[in-house]
Amino acid sequence: MTGRAGDALTYMGAALVAVFFAAPFVWLLSLSLRTPAEVYLGASRLIPEAPTWGNFATILRDPAFAIYLWNGVKLAASGAALAVVLAVPAGYACSRIDFRAKPAVMLGILAVQMVSPLVILIPLYAWIDRIGLLDTDLAVIAVYGAIGLPLSVWLLKASFDAIPIEIEEVAAIDGASRAQILTRITLPLAAPGLASAFILTMIMNWSQFLVPFILLESDANWPISVAIFNFAGSTSASTTQILAAACIVAVIPAVAVFVALQRIIVSALIDGAVKG
Amino acid sequence: MRRASPTPGDAPALPWLMPALAMLALFYAVPVLDVLRLAFSDATLIRPATEVSTRAVAAVLSNPALPQVLGTTALFTLASVIALQGVGLAIALLIVRGERRGLRGMTALRTLVLAAWVVPGIANGLIWQILFSEAPYGGLNSLLGSVGLGPVAWLSDPQMALVSAVIANTWQGAAFSMIVFYAALRAIDPVIYEAAEVDGARAFTVLTRITLPLLRGAVLVNSVLVTVQTLNTFDAILALTGGGPGRATEVLALFTFNTVFYNLDLAGGSALAILLFALAMALALVLWVTLGRRDMRA
Repeated sequence: MTGRAGDALTYMGAALVAVFFAAPFVWLLSLSLRTPAEVYLGASRLIPEAPTWGNFATILRDPAFAIYLWNGVKLAASGAALAVVLAVPAGYACSRIDFRAKPAVMLGILAVQMVSPLVILIPLYAWIDRIGLLDTDLAVIAVYGAIGLPLSVWLLKASFDAIPIEIEEVAAIDGASRAQILTRITLPLAAPGLASAFILTMIMNWSQFLVPFILLESDANWPISVAIFNFAGSTSASTTQILAAACIVAVIPAVAVFVALQRIIVSALIDGAVKG
Repeated sequence: MRRASPTPGDAPALPWLMPALAMLALFYAVPVLDVLRLAFSDATLIRPATEVSTRAVAAVLSNPALPQVLGTTALFTLASVIALQGVGLAIALLIVRGERRGLRGMTALRTLVLAAWVVPGIANGLIWQILFSEAPYGGLNSLLGSVGLGPVAWLSDPQMALVSAVIANTWQGAAFSMIVFYAALRAIDPVIYEAAEVDGARAFTVLTRITLPLLRGAVLVNSVLVTVQTLNTFDAILALTGGGPGRATEVLALFTFNTVFYNLDLAGGSALAILLFALAMALALVLWVTLGRRDMRA
């Protein structure tokens, strides 16, 4: 099936996929721009007659929401930074050093990813409580560091693999130590890989619900993911448009960052998928 | 054989691996062992263990809710894994074909699918809850109503609620399978397709005889990852239905979560967590062995 008939079928399929994946975003946006009266008109009023920013204003004017957003960014970024920093030496060793246990280590790291955070959080909650770190950012960041580690090691290994080893050999002949080679040569060259590992783990952390929900108790420490869950519980049918605006506010940062940087992220993922 | 390294012979790997291994030991290995200890104790979330006992495990196994929860989990996981991989593969095939033919809009389509993937699980549940709203002005029902269909009891009918949960899960998760299959499809040598074209093979034959067999490795890896992911996640369901109506959408992960953090039953929750952990590992192993063996026979 080549030629125009096939192309037409491809476009039809693409249109179907596009409708399914775009519909929730479109509906959410439509609701978030409506006045309460227009909410009751349902799908017949997809484009509001009197669009309003009022729902977004309600959300963004609430000082608590700004704090939730900031908490989300802070926890996600710190956790991702911790994971990537810890993953660099391991990813480098898995790429450049030959050791007998390498397949076992790589597979073990992958297997770790199959353990639900729920399983480890049960004892971690008790331990963190005992050392008095419950309801602190530090506890959440440490757990994020561990959860993001497996993916980071795999992505970094793939990006180190892509750097020609000859460059390092030249530096070694010039008398550079392995640590110097890593920090002066390999890491700068692996910057796109580092960036995509950081961004992907950060997006994962931004989406995390369970870890902050369990480890953080006070409202002021919550990231946006926990906050909208609690917010949804307090809304009713008459405030759907405000919940829709809140969902958009919670979703936009990750989607925007991802779309802006998708070229490097997708190529890192594809490299990881091909080699993994 | 040693690979050429910058400083040959001077490469003990352990110091390099230490930070990552120590972190994973502290946050994964030891907690998993501790869950095992807690399961065989009488601990609650507010009172530490005082004795070794099998009471919690026995209570969990004889809980009349468990068979239903396990049935829901099996149904939800199976349906999700089939839907996620089917939709992911279809989109990947579509995009790869579009790109080969130089059609426009394929990158935009890929971006759209990936955008759903980065939506937080909780937000996913809330967004679909809004879409599935059963009020007369609810998103899908008012759309169906305008063409004289429905209304559908998306979330209040026990069976439909499970279908709705699978739809929401597929919307968010299909991108992962799409990326895996997209990468695998692009790695196939185009010469094979040219040869098939020369031989006059039909598109369907090319798909079933060339493309799908060559994707077997990707399907294997993806099946394991997607199955375990589906088994372990519950935040979308928590936000979408809260496990209801009744227990209709309460999967094992959500049941475990409720047992520990709402009923404060640490021992019972630990026993369930071990069940979840064992199930994930067992499924991964079974998939690996069965799909892997078929792979070798071909």
